Amino acid sequence: MKARSSLEREFLEKWRKGLQIGKEDSTILERKDAIKLSADVAIAATKNAATHWRRALLCDVVSENPTNKHVVEHILGHKFKNTATRLTACSRRILRISQKRRQKAAPRRVVPKSRKRNRSRALRMLVPGGEEMDGVLLLQETLDYIVSLRAQVDVMRCLASIG
Amino acid sequence: MSGRRSRQSSNTPRITDDQIIDLVSKLHQFLPEIRNTRRSNKASANKVLQETCNYIRNLHKEVDDLSERLSQLLSSIDADSPEAAIIRSLI
Repeated sequence: MKARSSLEREFLEKWRKGLQIGKEDSTILERKDAIKLSADVAIAATKNAATHWRRALLCDVVSENPTNKHVVEHILGHKFKNTATRLTACSRRILRISQKRRQKAAPRRVVPKSRKRNRSRALRMLVPGGEEMDGVLLLQETLDYIVSLRAQVDVMRCLASIG
Repeated sequence: MSGRRSRQSSNTPRITDDQIIDLVSKLHQFLPEIRNTRRSNKASANKVLQETCNYIRNLHKEVDDLSERLSQLLSSIDADSPEAAIIRSLI
């Protein structure tokens, strides 16, 4: 068996935990969603430096479907509070409107601001919680997120190759 | 209004090129297709951001595909024990 990093081992352990509470009779699609859910929660639950994207991912998972909460809490091993560390859709809209108002008051620049903001927008949408991070934090979180995704994929790939 | 600097929103400050270059050096192990450029310019910084986004998208897709494949594999054998056995054999 090939040597695994402690991150991969921790992920596998937590993923396995999440899979244990899956239903017996489920369709292929339902099982796929359960596998993916456990995998995503498990990788977010691994202990590591950055915490923003992890928290954001778990909040997203619970917001998408409240029943996911029991998977989250089972893997975490404790209660999970979906606190307002994330912006709600309404407050996000308010934030956007007030930002637009500030931009209108600002003197026009030679370089269109939209292009500069746009280049990180795609990344912000891909990293959980990215919309609320400033530039430096976003890049730090991106690195940690990529490392974690890699671990997740490597372990899943290994398991899938057994069949 | 003259002399009044526009205030940057603290929620969407621009990412500087230097920060991108720093990211490049760390990402290089994951993204071999990024070539190390000596001078920092906007084009390479944008390219790095683009490559990073593509890479994350690919990883997301792979997680999705692997989840589907694993689901198909598991459905072809019995529910509880083989699943646990396979996973346990890897720990």
